[in-house]
Amino acid sequence: MVYTSIESKPNKTNHFQLRIAHLYGDLMNTYGDNGNILMLKYVAEKMGAHVRIDIVSLGDDFRSEDYDIVFFGGGQDYEQTIVAQDLPSKKDELGKFIQQEKVVLAICGGFQLLGQYYIEASGKRIEGLGLMGHYTLNQTNNRYIGDIKIYNPEFDETYYGFENHQGRTFLSDDEKPLGQVVYGNGNNKEDNGEGVHYKNVFGSYFHGPILSRNAHLAYRLVATALHHRYGSEIFLPSYQAILEDEISEEYADVKSKAEFLD
Amino acid sequence: MKINTSLGLLAGKTSQKVLKSLGRGTTLPGKIALKFDKDILQTLAKDYEIVVITGTNGKTLTTALTVSILREVFGQVVTNTGGANMITGITTTFLTAKRNKTGKQIAVLEVDEASLSRICDYISPTLFVVTNIFRDQMDRFGEIYTTYQMILDAIKKVPQATVLMNGDSPLFHSMTLKNEIRYYGFDTKKTEPRLAHYNTEGILCPRCQHILKYRLNTYANLGDYVCENCGFQRPLLDYAVTELVDLSYNHSSFVIDGQDYEINVGGLYNIYNALAAVAVAEFFDIKASRIRHAFHNSKAVFGRQESFAIGDKQCTLILIKNPVGASQALDMIGLSPFSFTLSVLLNANYADGIDTSWIWDAQFEKIEEMDIPAVYAGGVRHSEIARRIRVAGYPKEQLKEFSELNQVFEAIKKQEVKHAYILATYTAMLEFRELLASHQVVEKEMK
Repeated sequence: MVYTSIESKPNKTNHFQLRIAHLYGDLMNTYGDNGNILMLKYVAEKMGAHVRIDIVSLGDDFRSEDYDIVFFGGGQDYEQTIVAQDLPSKKDELGKFIQQEKVVLAICGGFQLLGQYYIEASGKRIEGLGLMGHYTLNQTNNRYIGDIKIYNPEFDETYYGFENHQGRTFLSDDEKPLGQVVYGNGNNKEDNGEGVHYKNVFGSYFHGPILSRNAHLAYRLVATALHHRYGSEIFLPSYQAILEDEISEEYADVKSKAEFLD
Repeated sequence: MKINTSLGLLAGKTSQKVLKSLGRGTTLPGKIALKFDKDILQTLAKDYEIVVITGTNGKTLTTALTVSILREVFGQVVTNTGGANMITGITTTFLTAKRNKTGKQIAVLEVDEASLSRICDYISPTLFVVTNIFRDQMDRFGEIYTTYQMILDAIKKVPQATVLMNGDSPLFHSMTLKNEIRYYGFDTKKTEPRLAHYNTEGILCPRCQHILKYRLNTYANLGDYVCENCGFQRPLLDYAVTELVDLSYNHSSFVIDGQDYEINVGGLYNIYNALAAVAVAEFFDIKASRIRHAFHNSKAVFGRQESFAIGDKQCTLILIKNPVGASQALDMIGLSPFSFTLSVLLNANYADGIDTSWIWDAQFEKIEEMDIPAVYAGGVRHSEIARRIRVAGYPKEQLKEFSELNQVFEAIKKQEVKHAYILATYTAMLEFRELLASHQVVEKEMK
């Protein structure tokens, strides 16, 4: 049954509502991705929104009109295979959500499962939702682990993170990467791309988590969702005004460890 | 005896004497001895009755408590201290061990989960104790199911050994073994079955893959679980905590199998450690009075938690290394009946784990309810932990960020409130201790 996991405390200055579906939040929760939920709430509250987060999990109905943002995190292989079996029941509504250009943030396993399929480390093929064109292959005896930095020329923004993935993802022609790799591995170590940006779906392998390391991306997601719901004319405070402490930074101790270690 | 074995023993023992005179070395003698004879552990350990303690959290304290109980009854007990829990450390432990003149030779060993299988090629424990498996250093261990498999692979090498497992962990009821298994856990107050906190790992029913509920959820995914879909539930407990009498920040009292016990350390997770130690004691038919006596004299063993004074400030330093442990530490300090400052020192070296994302799974939100006039963020990743604290809802005006540990030290010295808690990751803890030692606040060598 869908239930609310976190909700903003009542506050008169919060004149917007923001409803977030935390897809399989009780199963896809191994790699600190919970921080993305906490950051979305933190940023949205500062932008004047009352936030409610629901866990939508196995056997639950997902209704697209109930939510402004979907967050889909990564999990362990075992949990992911169970999630993959449940996903088809949510496919139509998730497809509608994406086509309506609502905001989706998908990390690691969530990113993979929005695509066509992925191949597990064991070689087993797991079908994805097929709502987006990318697919994911495996690699033997290797993982991409380490610090990573990417640049998105469209937004002129740099993002920092930590990657830890076995899968190698390849985008389709109608998908753009979230950024170009400055250092680190990225989706597949071949085409220099990391993550995906398609309509308002943002996918990535970044843990760290991505929104805590990159609060400007959290601001972008929340602003997009609020404009989508309330129209482009609403006034939102600037990033500088509310989030000046949250600086996206390259940790001084990071660069020496950016190479893959085994 | 093979010539290499004799040489290995000689070299290991000699190096130990030299190192001891220099005042250091916990694994080097073992390393040297293993160079001469890679199978030397087999020779060293062959006369011992061995208890192995493994699992993600609680190994050190469970081992220390078990040792103090067994020493009450059996005299000399060999054990590895200082976290030297891989093959070189274990080899060193046996090389440098004093032997009982008469009676049983007993060893209680804390063993790293990933090293256990290799070590079991050389030793045959009587008893394995498996405390729990949580997400920990994922760059080294991988996912919880992988860690569990590593432990099972080791246990299968010794089918005659008894296995004492935490019955409150659903994972430990998911596979069958040839070994005799006994379970310990909590049988305190129950409710209608409920879901665990949404951000809990390992809550799928191992039999039908539905989400488990809990009649009693002590912390993380531990407790009296039940699957409402297929009826899978916790196994019957052989050893149980049936009553929590008093929980405080610096001690706990509780009832296990009809006997009252008290330990001089706070935290629900430490009651699990005491329970595991009691289970081992009961396995060896040791009387409750001896166990109580051992617990009473165990004040010094809580190495992962250390108290000292900086000026007139009472301080407690606690090691944090993964989300479950950090959340439990926060629960424990929340029981303090006084106001205090909280320092969180985050490093990202290999020994800490270079992926610091776990801090977002630790429930720092708990500090909102506590009486904390100031939080000090320190360590190499001070800005990252400061963000975590702000996002947890703590007022940024009361949050101070320090790039140097001595600034944290000075801040504690000058603060108004009389108490301070310091949570630190492994290398941050070592650095902070060094600083404390240079100010003669603690002794240099950790107990």
